[in-house]
Amino acid sequence: MDNLHPLESKVLLALAPQPGSPCTLDQLAESTGLEPSQLSMAVEWLLAKSLIAVHAETVAYIASLTPVGEVFFEKYAPIERVLSAAREAGQTGKRLTIQDIQAKESLEPSDVSKAVGTLKKEGSILIVQGGCIESTGRNSATAEAMRALLQELRSGQRELQTFAEPLRAVLQQHAVKRGNAREPFRVDERVTRSFLLTPSGQEVADQLSRDGVADEVSQLTPELLKEGAWRTKQFRKYTISLRAPRIAAGKRHPYREFLDLVKLKLVSMGFQEMRGTLVETEFWNMDALFMPQFHPARDIHDVYFVKNPTHARDIAEPFLTNVTQVHESGTGAGSTGWGYQFDAERAKRLVLRSQGTAVSARRLATSPSVPGKYFSIARCFRYDQVDATHATDFFQVEGIVLGSDINFRTLLGLLNLFAREVAQAKEVKFLPAYFPFTEPSVEMHVRHPKLGWMELGGAGLFRPEVTTPLGVSVPVIAWGLGLDRMAMVALGIHDIRDLFSADLEFIRTMRGSF
Amino acid sequence: MPTISLQRDDLEALIAGPDATPSRIAIDQLEQWLMLVKGELKGHNTETGELRIELQDSNRPDLWCCEGIARQIRIKQQGAAASYPFFKKQKRVAGKLVVAPGLEHVRPYVAACTAIGYRVTASGLTQLIQTQEKLADIFGRKRRSVSIGLYRLAPIVFPVSYDLVKPDDVRFTPLGMETVMTLREILMVHPKGVEYGGIVSGHDRLPVLRDAKGQVLSFPPIINSREIGEVQVGDDQLFVEVTGTDLHMVALTLNIFAANLADRGAVITPVEIQSPVKTAFGKRWHTPIDFGAPRTIPLKAIETALGDALGSREVTTALKSYGYTVKSAGPKVAVQLPPYRNDLLHTVDVVEDVAISQGYSRFAPVMPSQFTVGGLSRLEQMADRVRHLMVGMEFQEIISNIMGSHQDFCTRMRVDGTEWAKVVEVDNVMSLSYSCLRQWITPSLLQVETNSSRAFYPHRMFEVGEVAVPDASADVGSRTITRLGAVIAHAGAHFSEIHSCLDLLLYYLDRSFTLEPVPHPSFLEGRAGRIMLNGRVIGLLGELHPEVLEHWQIGVPTVALELEIDRLLDEA
Repeated sequence: MDNLHPLESKVLLALAPQPGSPCTLDQLAESTGLEPSQLSMAVEWLLAKSLIAVHAETVAYIASLTPVGEVFFEKYAPIERVLSAAREAGQTGKRLTIQDIQAKESLEPSDVSKAVGTLKKEGSILIVQGGCIESTGRNSATAEAMRALLQELRSGQRELQTFAEPLRAVLQQHAVKRGNAREPFRVDERVTRSFLLTPSGQEVADQLSRDGVADEVSQLTPELLKEGAWRTKQFRKYTISLRAPRIAAGKRHPYREFLDLVKLKLVSMGFQEMRGTLVETEFWNMDALFMPQFHPARDIHDVYFVKNPTHARDIAEPFLTNVTQVHESGTGAGSTGWGYQFDAERAKRLVLRSQGTAVSARRLATSPSVPGKYFSIARCFRYDQVDATHATDFFQVEGIVLGSDINFRTLLGLLNLFAREVAQAKEVKFLPAYFPFTEPSVEMHVRHPKLGWMELGGAGLFRPEVTTPLGVSVPVIAWGLGLDRMAMVALGIHDIRDLFSADLEFIRTMRGSF
Repeated sequence: MPTISLQRDDLEALIAGPDATPSRIAIDQLEQWLMLVKGELKGHNTETGELRIELQDSNRPDLWCCEGIARQIRIKQQGAAASYPFFKKQKRVAGKLVVAPGLEHVRPYVAACTAIGYRVTASGLTQLIQTQEKLADIFGRKRRSVSIGLYRLAPIVFPVSYDLVKPDDVRFTPLGMETVMTLREILMVHPKGVEYGGIVSGHDRLPVLRDAKGQVLSFPPIINSREIGEVQVGDDQLFVEVTGTDLHMVALTLNIFAANLADRGAVITPVEIQSPVKTAFGKRWHTPIDFGAPRTIPLKAIETALGDALGSREVTTALKSYGYTVKSAGPKVAVQLPPYRNDLLHTVDVVEDVAISQGYSRFAPVMPSQFTVGGLSRLEQMADRVRHLMVGMEFQEIISNIMGSHQDFCTRMRVDGTEWAKVVEVDNVMSLSYSCLRQWITPSLLQVETNSSRAFYPHRMFEVGEVAVPDASADVGSRTITRLGAVIAHAGAHFSEIHSCLDLLLYYLDRSFTLEPVPHPSFLEGRAGRIMLNGRVIGLLGELHPEVLEHWQIGVPTVALELEIDRLLDEA
């Protein structure tokens, strides 16, 4: 009683006149005149003190349009667009494939295939030889339902129950579900609760109505301090067991925190940071690494090529000549070379950096220190379909170690150090591996405290065909660490795309255990 | 590289060899053995006995098959490779294969042999076809440099000719079809013709393999004849042929097939190739052919690279039990690869084989002992200072993808057609959502704001990250710049709020800046400024234009700041 907040008193008094008859939040808002946020605060406090109780809870489902739905409304839903494209093609006699529709309507492949699937099932289209789509002339119930729903929800949200079947089914089918944000509709739960005084609440309320609300001070003010009036005041007691209101902190991104930690570890092990460019020539991205120009991983399906300009003006000498020779005949590096004609024009082709090793290659060519240790945390790009394990661009942590004492055993020693320092792993396994630019090559597996055995990275001694043309005469370790999986475990996520999440609430609440 | 599927008992039988009883190999033991072939067990179906193995080494096509994996393991178990008689020069040949003039411009090389005495089983046939596909697809670059044909030997009458013909002059029934077709029709209609036709396009005459009676064997590298070129379960006389554009790759591919069939019990008989032009093998040679040569390596080179004084005995043992022919001579070893390998480019390749043969666990790790000083680049140090200050001003850090869409980076920002819309675009776009590199950070942050209207306000977010700005004077046509982007979004977000942040940030970094009004389409006119430092533009800030917010479906006022961190360094 003596630690009632004025807001709480208001709510109790509002409930007191009609004992036994419950009030909803809306009714309480009206009778108390409180702001919704104040009211809900007071209600939560009273519930926590068991002065009021929830009488009933009803759940309504409210359907509304998502931003995708707004777009569908403007441009029509994919299913309608596919259907009308098929009909149009039927009239003009054109052959129409799924790819044609995708290109013509610039739709996402997943939207098109979903639409085609539905239309086929409903018999509105046929898929004939060569993957061509033909309209059967039959209407699509889904397309029509979709149009009606977009129209209806465009003018405002509506309760799901007020839609009759089959509209409701279509709505639910196309409502945003976890993991699929590309849907036009969403259905939200709206919970309506009503409240009653508990017997002890009734008592307190009765007392309140009898004695009136006490004249208490809730906040100590500069005036009270200045005048000394605080000496005669009663301070209302707080219920300090209540949950603290949420605040947002300024803070680093947890993934960046993880990368900062890796950075710190590497610097403390004596590594210098190197940086490179997002756009690279094929020369530094691959040729300098002795990947032959016919190597399968250099295909159009593995690397992103830059549209304009397509080529760099030139490649610095003597590197172009040296690398050309080593590819063609191995000259200078004690190698047979690959035995093909090196295409200097191809070397100038601009690509999006596909491996951090490009940064190392450039570093080798600019008089690195011997002994020397270098690392980079480089953004790289691969021509992959984006999914839970592939991001469009990602960080590669990798580097080099130069020194006259470098050999296969010191390579293993360095990897042991990484395992201990970066992964806190006590157990390490070394497996033979293949990289085009190292020989011998090693894959390092460590026993992670949570994940069990996992691959931590790949490494090897750079082939002399890589180092000699770049002017380096000591052995060089090339190493790379695959830390994304470790990062994901540390951050408690399962989808690599969440490392680059665009959801502020998610980022605010995500925390790492490093 | 390739992942292949094989049967556990087939692998066990091949490891044991034709004369021994196979024994069961436990899966964890198998994983140990697979280290010899850089193989990783990807899957194991206990019901069907299927194993899925990924082979890493793109220079070892001989290992991309059950026979090759088994062979490498068997050699280790037996301590040395068994020799294949057919790689030695022999008088007897199964027949001749005559190459017609003109093919040097189309698809010059061919190699062939016969294999008799191995009765093809269902699982053996699956393996043959898988090897054929993996070799032609990956090693042969989608049949461009190498393609392989398998035939029933019985109907073939030697000499076989490798000819060039006009596309309408020859017709046969290709695999997968019911009717006779000309080469031109095959290129137009047959799925394989459509898929691989590009390899022979631009030639008015096309390659064809025919026997002495004029029967077509195949139209390489497109499709085999249905009559002769369809090997079936139960066949025990085979003809194998490889065509391609590289003499050594063609020879190597046939060597691999010959060794594989021999391992399954076939007797291989060479075929004599007659070429109209002189090649590295001359004008007449037999295939399979051992074209490797011994290479002499100082023992010291191997020991130095491995960091261990193994001695010539251990090196010799290691290489022999990995399939090499080895002669040790004092401080040097002469080594030669088996004929089904051609991946010895440098001494280091031998070094690795020694290490793999002995097992990596044979080598005790040693810490590199030389002293180096670690450190961050000046740019990274500056970036970190900026990040810490932004965090102190209660901004949440964001990390975004650098690749995105023109729509997000330009159109939604209302900058299309202006100097601010210059972006690095990708030629081979996979999805319109990922078609260019961001030229500024603000769109990345607006993407977050768009998705976060339910997160409680105010929103203060920043990202320090890389962007790419086209620049004709840069050697790669663009510059990679590290920038700070920051946005504040809430019902009362205001220019002065972000201005204060900039002011405080640059105060702590000790850079005195001025602001100049700038007409920038992303911002409200009169509420945007260029940040100037010593007469150079280092960034901009302002209140985002309502139309930009509409494009992003953002429902609250939003102010933004962009700052080039590289420039902060330049202007120190």
